[in-house]
Amino acid sequence: MKIHFKRIISFLFMVLFFAIASSSLANAGAILSDLENQLMCKCDDKCGKVLINCTCSTAEKNRKKFTKMLESGLTVDQIVRQQVEKYGETILSAPSKKGFNLTAWVIPFGAIMIGGVGLRRLLNGWVGKDTKTEPQNSIEPQLGSKKSSEMSSSKYSRRLKDELDQLET
Amino acid sequence: MNDIGEFTLMVALATSLYGTVAYIMAARGNRIDIYLSADKIPLITWACVMISSIALWKAFFTNDFSLQYVYAYSNIELDYFYKFSSFWGGQKGSLLFWALILTSYMIVVHFQNRSKNLIVVPYAMAVMLAITCFFLFLLNFSTNPFERIPLPPEDGRGLNPLLQNYWMVIHPPTLYLGYVGFTVPFAFAMAALISKNLDDSWIRLTRKWAVVSWFFLCMGNLFGASWAYVELGWGGYWAWDPVENAAFMPLIVATAYLHSVMIQEKKDMMKVWNMSLILLTFVMTIFGTFITRSGLIQSVHTFDEATLGYYFLGLLFFIIFVCTALIISRLPLLKSKNELDSFLSREAGFLFNNLLLLGIAFATFWGTIFPIISEAIRGVKITVGPPFYNQVNVPIGLALLALIGIGPIIAWRRATWSNLKKNFLKPLVFAIVGGAILFPILPLSNRSEVYTYITFVLCFFVLSSMLIEFYKGTIARRTSSDSVVGALSSLIWNNKRRYGGYTVHIGVVMIYAGIAASSSYGIHTEKRLKIGETIEIRDYMLRYEKLAAIQATSVKTRIIAQLAVEKDGKRIWTARPEKEFYKGQNQPVSEVDVRSTLASDLYVILADFSEDESATIKVYHNPMVKWLWTGGWVIALGTMVCAWPDRLEQRRRLERLKRQQIVFSPAQE
Repeated sequence: MKIHFKRIISFLFMVLFFAIASSSLANAGAILSDLENQLMCKCDDKCGKVLINCTCSTAEKNRKKFTKMLESGLTVDQIVRQQVEKYGETILSAPSKKGFNLTAWVIPFGAIMIGGVGLRRLLNGWVGKDTKTEPQNSIEPQLGSKKSSEMSSSKYSRRLKDELDQLET
Repeated sequence: MNDIGEFTLMVALATSLYGTVAYIMAARGNRIDIYLSADKIPLITWACVMISSIALWKAFFTNDFSLQYVYAYSNIELDYFYKFSSFWGGQKGSLLFWALILTSYMIVVHFQNRSKNLIVVPYAMAVMLAITCFFLFLLNFSTNPFERIPLPPEDGRGLNPLLQNYWMVIHPPTLYLGYVGFTVPFAFAMAALISKNLDDSWIRLTRKWAVVSWFFLCMGNLFGASWAYVELGWGGYWAWDPVENAAFMPLIVATAYLHSVMIQEKKDMMKVWNMSLILLTFVMTIFGTFITRSGLIQSVHTFDEATLGYYFLGLLFFIIFVCTALIISRLPLLKSKNELDSFLSREAGFLFNNLLLLGIAFATFWGTIFPIISEAIRGVKITVGPPFYNQVNVPIGLALLALIGIGPIIAWRRATWSNLKKNFLKPLVFAIVGGAILFPILPLSNRSEVYTYITFVLCFFVLSSMLIEFYKGTIARRTSSDSVVGALSSLIWNNKRRYGGYTVHIGVVMIYAGIAASSSYGIHTEKRLKIGETIEIRDYMLRYEKLAAIQATSVKTRIIAQLAVEKDGKRIWTARPEKEFYKGQNQPVSEVDVRSTLASDLYVILADFSEDESATIKVYHNPMVKWLWTGGWVIALGTMVCAWPDRLEQRRRLERLKRQQIVFSPAQE
């Protein structure tokens, strides 16, 4: 049975894509935990912890207060907005995804994208350089290329190359 | 003894200053007489710092509260175990501890290399001594641990209760061993730049230092997570606190360095890149120290008297300026013949691994400093907490996990499609089968759970690719007279770096799995209980039995709740979470009780109690947390294999170089 390697990889990527896409439509989990995750603890000790991670008495009081607020029918967003009005943006455990704060979210991925493009260009130069400058040294035949296959070196150097590939240390 | 300690600190500063200048003069002027005089300096400096440290420890053990530092971090009732660790509990002592580790490393380097490379080593010693000078300067003139109190009080203020945990005795020294350890590769890199000796000798001389420092940094982070887990009582182990980030960033950059340096060793490429990475790793260690000691960023970890920010900021800028200037001035010498045979090669894989690792380091750095940027630009203080880091770093981390699996099975130089099929098919099949088995079992109701599912599938892929490598190697080595265990041992023994590295990767996979499972499938519940009442979580039922108060010492009272834990009607464990009250402290400290198995942790907290003996009990069920700690020990095993002395290494290197010369030289065809 012939195994279609490229198809397997494509299938895997499709599965991953749909899994991630479907996740964004799913529910947000426990409501109180969600709220506790979005807010910082505002205790006198300035502990600097997210509410869900804090065990101080102020955090416990706030938890009880938020539970009552949720029971009274307020949504997580409404409570968060109320808290921001009271304490300012510093109460949020992560920057909002708008205005200047958007840069916090975009820049890391932007940097990786730019780095990726730069790396790709760098590699283009490095890979090209090898075949341009020393074509006689190319010891691996290009797949599907009859011409480059003719340029391949002797069977001894190929054997040596195989051994080198095995040699890791 | 305090006077001796203070005096030896001064002598240490003077000798290290002399040593720095003498080593540079000896190297520049080729002066053997100066070199011989400088040769004694590392030992003298270490001895002085050691005497100072012993003096401070003695002051702790003898309750000498005439020292302001001992008064601030100890008291008569403090256990001797914690009196020992109080040494690094505050800023002054921790700086002395840093100096002690640095000078200890320095004498090891000194005895290891004194007759090896007389061009690079003197400069490396000078760099290490210069850094020692910086710390000794602070200790002598800014933050002296031997500062006196004119009228000594009868008792001290005591150590912060949160620090009175065995992990805090182990965690800071481990982290410091890692932080300070990177001074050695940094010093040698600087020495190579200064002396223009830019072949890979500095890498070979410091390879094991880099591996061991990386290991300590890794374990330091894990021990810190363990401390947070058992001491902070919120059911988690990592909160992306700025100081946690400060320890995490050098680890990530160092990981990138350890991978990319292999390309330089193999193909003599990427000299500038590797030089930059090791310098960046060291800069990150100083940045971490700056954060902890500047008070600039709010964190639970910052020292009470965080006043040294400007000194560390100055050092940071000085190092960045000198390193950048040196690299730029040596660019022509650092030029290497950068050639790659193919995109589909392990070399390219390492480069993408570097990109992702630096991406994670940058995202973490960016998140750490963003509050400062926001305040400077908008005048608005904001917080960057776990939701940011999780959303940004998790996707990058998953791509990195995939690369951990791809790296070892993709060929060096050039991988062909047939080659890829041969190596990737089995791991992919394992991943698909594993994914298919897990699909109906695991809930996939939110983004976090989907990420966890992907993590598990990738873990199957990586783990199978590693195990297949071990299997293939063992089978190839096995002869009719050799057992499987013998063949496996011989395989690992003869390829320590390769198989030690694979073992480390297996440990990393376990950590990934532990983090993924515990952060997605952990649940918790909380209930106010009266004696005899129960609380349920998953398959467990906890019955509240009693509440007891114990006066442990004159300053500490323990309130202990006892709960019988039952599963399927059978009592399997007795949980005893407690709250500790310390005299003079506003907040009590929660001491959680944890029943840990590979499948899950049952984590019990006494959240509150009242005089009628009713108590609020909080219970967490955290799956697979033990995988994290076990993964750490697997990493320790792998690192030990990697760093084990190898007498054949040099011979194999020469043989490899000879073979490469034959392949790449047209004249040999």
